[in-house]
Amino acid sequence: MRSDSHPAHGDPRLSRFDPMERVIYFDDFDQGMNGWTCLVGNYQDSLDTMTTSYARHTQPMLSQITHWDSGTHGSFDGTYALKIATRPVAGERNTAIKRVTFRKASRIRVETYFACKPEANELKLSDKDVRTFGVLFDLQDRQQRVMPHLRYLNTLNGERRHQWQFKQRTTPFRAIGGSEIVTHDHLSPEDWEDVPGGHQNLCYNEIPTKINWHYLRFDFDLVNMCWLGFQCNDLVMDPSGLESIKMPAMANLDCMLNLAFFCESDTAKRTFFYLDSVLLSGDF
Amino acid sequence: MATLRNTYTAVIARGERWAGQVYTEPYEAAWASEAVFFIHLMPDSTPPSETAVARVQISPDGLHWVNEGTEFELPTVPDAVSFGRVLNFGGWLRLAVAVPNSCVFKVVATLSLKA
Repeated sequence: MRSDSHPAHGDPRLSRFDPMERVIYFDDFDQGMNGWTCLVGNYQDSLDTMTTSYARHTQPMLSQITHWDSGTHGSFDGTYALKIATRPVAGERNTAIKRVTFRKASRIRVETYFACKPEANELKLSDKDVRTFGVLFDLQDRQQRVMPHLRYLNTLNGERRHQWQFKQRTTPFRAIGGSEIVTHDHLSPEDWEDVPGGHQNLCYNEIPTKINWHYLRFDFDLVNMCWLGFQCNDLVMDPSGLESIKMPAMANLDCMLNLAFFCESDTAKRTFFYLDSVLLSGDF
Repeated sequence: MATLRNTYTAVIARGERWAGQVYTEPYEAAWASEAVFFIHLMPDSTPPSETAVARVQISPDGLHWVNEGTEFELPTVPDAVSFGRVLNFGGWLRLAVAVPNSCVFKVVATLSLKA
């Protein structure tokens, strides 16, 4: 082993990652769901009070990525991947979330190997059927709630974009039933901004049933609540100009460290966002 | 340490109002060897005047579906629950429900899976 090699590189399961000093969690979906679940909206007294876009979210699943023409594709290093699937409606989105809290404000890093494809229900290229996929943190320290959002805009209304984006604004808060519970749609389609220099063509491949896994890394500083940069395959971006949705600290959210992945369809066809594994680490 | 069997419960309909022909979204569960579908008629529902039958469907690819053979009636009393058990279902599951005319079922439907 080289003297300068990363400590994780001696472990075959971790050798394709570059975690910070402490692994907070390493979720290999060959082992199960690992605490990933559906992101439902807030409500009181009746589910009918839930914001419609959240009410449409469905539960993630474990997929072996089986296709009608080529059978089981499998995941990066095994059989199963976490699958986030939209409904077959243009503009529809879905999410999966894992909720923990942080014990020390530090730099954190999330890494994943992912693939994103449309449902293979047509004998066509179909590369413009996926609108977006992305990742977000939902964080809170004693002063503020901070929600960095990063997405890849693949297509918008039939036009290829291939652009990484972030957002700084959410929708106005709405009180639910006159209670202390409020809601907002931070994943709404509005207010996404292009990451400067963030155009990237990904390996879609040539038919919907051929899948290539991609690497994504997203670093954030919990001390200063600021971006530290991100990487997708060979595109490495510094944090210049990248900001987060910010708001005053809310009740009941101290030390929140939520991580969510999401995707959207651009046509009336399901979008499937697959995660082989997710590794969250920190430098403490 | 003993290895416990994996299990997961997916909510496949959350407060939806079922009317006409309903198909739940496809759910992948090749890792599971047994499944139970539950349908809970929500407490604030208007009691339907007649019941409906939920049929379990399976698929080789998530695109083409066939009745698996398991079927069960939806509850017609608010807050009541009905269920159907399934084994040997391959990789994909969903429910097909033909709701009679003029009836609406406001339900939470869940799929409980076990390796």
